[in-house]
Amino acid sequence: MPIFKYGSHEVYYQTYGEEDAPVIAFVNGLSMRTLHWMPMIENLCSSGFRVLVYDMLGQGSSSKPVLDMNFDNNAEVLALILDEISTKQAYVSGISYGGVVALKFGYLYPEKSRGIIPISTFTEMDGQFKYLAYNLHRGLTEIGFGFYLDLLMPLNFTSGWIDEHSNVIDFTKRIAIADMEVYGIQNVMEQLASFESITDEISKIKCPTLIMNGEFDSFTPRHMHEIMRQQIRNSRLILVPKVAHAMTIEIPDLCCQIIANFIEEVESNNWKGDQTTWIANEELGSHPVAIPCEGDYLRCIPIELSRRCYEEKRTAAAQKVAKPVTKKTSTVTAAAKKSAAAKTTTKKATTTKKPAAKN
Amino acid sequence: MPNAAERMKLLAQDFFSKNDLGSEQETRISLFIQAIKTTNASILTKIEFQPFEWEPYKSLHKQYFKEIELSTLLNKATNWSTNPFVYMEATQLNLKLWQMAEINQYMQSPFSVDEVFYSYLALSHAFMAEVRVLPVLPPTMPLNTPFLSAIQEIEEENGRQIQAQIRMLKGIELPISQERKEEIINKQQTVVQSCFCDLLAAVCKIPEEQ
Repeated sequence: MPIFKYGSHEVYYQTYGEEDAPVIAFVNGLSMRTLHWMPMIENLCSSGFRVLVYDMLGQGSSSKPVLDMNFDNNAEVLALILDEISTKQAYVSGISYGGVVALKFGYLYPEKSRGIIPISTFTEMDGQFKYLAYNLHRGLTEIGFGFYLDLLMPLNFTSGWIDEHSNVIDFTKRIAIADMEVYGIQNVMEQLASFESITDEISKIKCPTLIMNGEFDSFTPRHMHEIMRQQIRNSRLILVPKVAHAMTIEIPDLCCQIIANFIEEVESNNWKGDQTTWIANEELGSHPVAIPCEGDYLRCIPIELSRRCYEEKRTAAAQKVAKPVTKKTSTVTAAAKKSAAAKTTTKKATTTKKPAAKN
Repeated sequence: MPNAAERMKLLAQDFFSKNDLGSEQETRISLFIQAIKTTNASILTKIEFQPFEWEPYKSLHKQYFKEIELSTLLNKATNWSTNPFVYMEATQLNLKLWQMAEINQYMQSPFSVDEVFYSYLALSHAFMAEVRVLPVLPPTMPLNTPFLSAIQEIEEENGRQIQAQIRMLKGIELPISQERKEEIINKQQTVVQSCFCDLLAAVCKIPEEQ
């Protein structure tokens, strides 16, 4: 693996694929290393792309500085590695913590950004997310790395994936514990303590941006990605069905299909960054890759549709009662009932205001 | 290209993929870890002369007793060898550690916040960060033997102690530059890495030229 010198530190990186192919750089999540991208690397290289992966300082095979760690350096390190491999522009994709680096790269290095693909990520730390990060940090430092990985497991993966891989989870945990230096991860994590919102900054991103969010991502939920969709004009949000936070590990081939489709659209000038929201087709190899998303995708329950159906049924029922009227006294009763129903409807409509776009 | 320490770890991984831990291996590992723990505890005895209000007191006090606890736990869990040469060679390695890490300088006079104290904190950090046996064992090797469960407990505790160590290394106010601090940390890491490599070479019977 080649080494890039960043000051006195060493950053390990690797490239795969043909040199003249469009470059996709992948930025690791917090406790990832380059090996985690391997299934996607093989897939994308065979589709004609060149892939760059690297371990951030504090991770995997890169240096683990005890003192000199600054979150803002990560975008700069990526820009310098691109120079090192003589790449003027690249598609930059990052997951979770790495997604923030990809977004930062998008507005700090617009001339180097051909496209940005933030996956399962965030631009600010809201109440729930702060507590999740706090719990992970406490788990890591007060109980241990194994417990930290256990805390991450239900956040990263769906039950289906966990059940399917239950026989190898302990084994992979042992490998992770052996591979990671706890103090390196701790240092990477502690950079988040001083994290300041980049929500306003990302509006400076001008390049095509495909935001990917898993249907069941409770770690960085939908509203966090909705912020990106609203802030980045040249963007689209794609919702990926039936996956949690770590979708690049859970469904690497489908992620490749979505990313490859995005790059092909940009390269062929067919990309429309119109801030629309889409749902990925979960069948691998099927077309279209995604369909437009209808309805309120910020809610987990179909409340608007349910309310509309409920009102329609009530109205239909009321009309049914009103029709077979023959006696004058019955007409009065039906009219009174209808009036009462109308009042109830008005009252309900005023009390069930649409909540804010947060989970 | 991996550095010398990484190369040694790869060789040790290869060794343990073909060999189990015997009493000689357990003894060598235990003697080295016990030397580190008892050395650190000996230095930390001085902590009891510091006032309670001294900021590092609480975490170093905890570390002092943890080091003794873990060393005695390992003593109980090890399948000790009957080969006297193993003990002789282990003593030589421990002497090398004392000399290279200049441990005698930390034994004299009470703690004060100066470069010597910073250097001690960096050494203690290196002990916990660099001496890791589990990563050289195959992930399929069961950890339910007394020896390996004790090693696991030690390495988990080291992971917890490291965070206090990092806070002190980052936060302690000293009239020395950041570069000097990094230099001290790197030096201590190199010293501990070198001795740990010697241990792995002895445990796995890897010739020096490798």
